[in-house]
Amino acid sequence: MMQPITAKELEYVVDSISNEDLLMKQCAVVVAAGSSPALKQVCGQMIHMHEQHMHTLLHSLQQHQQLAPTQPQN
Amino acid sequence: MHQQQHTQAISMQTLMPEKDLAYTVLADLKRVVREYATAATESSCPQTRQMFTNLLNNTLRMQGDLFNAMQQQNMYSVASPALRQEVDKQIKEHQQVIQQAEQHLQQLGLKQQASFGGQYNQQQHLQGQYIQPQIPTNQQSQFYM
Repeated sequence: MMQPITAKELEYVVDSISNEDLLMKQCAVVVAAGSSPALKQVCGQMIHMHEQHMHTLLHSLQQHQQLAPTQPQN
Repeated sequence: MHQQQHTQAISMQTLMPEKDLAYTVLADLKRVVREYATAATESSCPQTRQMFTNLLNNTLRMQGDLFNAMQQQNMYSVASPALRQEVDKQIKEHQQVIQQAEQHLQQLGLKQQASFGGQYNQQQHLQGQYIQPQIPTNQQSQFYM
């Protein structure tokens, strides 16, 4: 049974999206500017993972969208 | 104008060596692992908790992969090993701690439930064979919820 997302959970989800965004960009720099093939490979794989994580997090917000109350609850 | 052209000519490697760059990613992965663990423990919605748990596991795996790659490139020096006498001393001290904890449980009449911890230490661990702790499945699910 899905519950409405709490304010705290919402903060964690949006902070996590920012974290994944930052990590994805950092990995892209390693792939673009790095010299070690092994590192570039690991970071290349990570880019897709971070992208997937961002979608997962966004999707969870969308799933909770309809459950969110429009009036403040006590 | 001239200044701008000069700036563009500097490669990323010059701005930050690859080792430092990789270390920055590793440090951020470690931070995100902690954040996901906190988020999972503070989630009240089961779906949200499960999502954070999955993200935690994925991020842990990525951190491990990057660490291994960095270690193979000699970009990461592991801490020196703990000395044998220090390990011996800690084992001795903490065997007593575990023994006292078990005595405490015995006094409370709760020894039955906790006995698998002691058995694991004294028998299974030493003999190198792992036996599943015998707790009812309904109880187990509480621990791993």
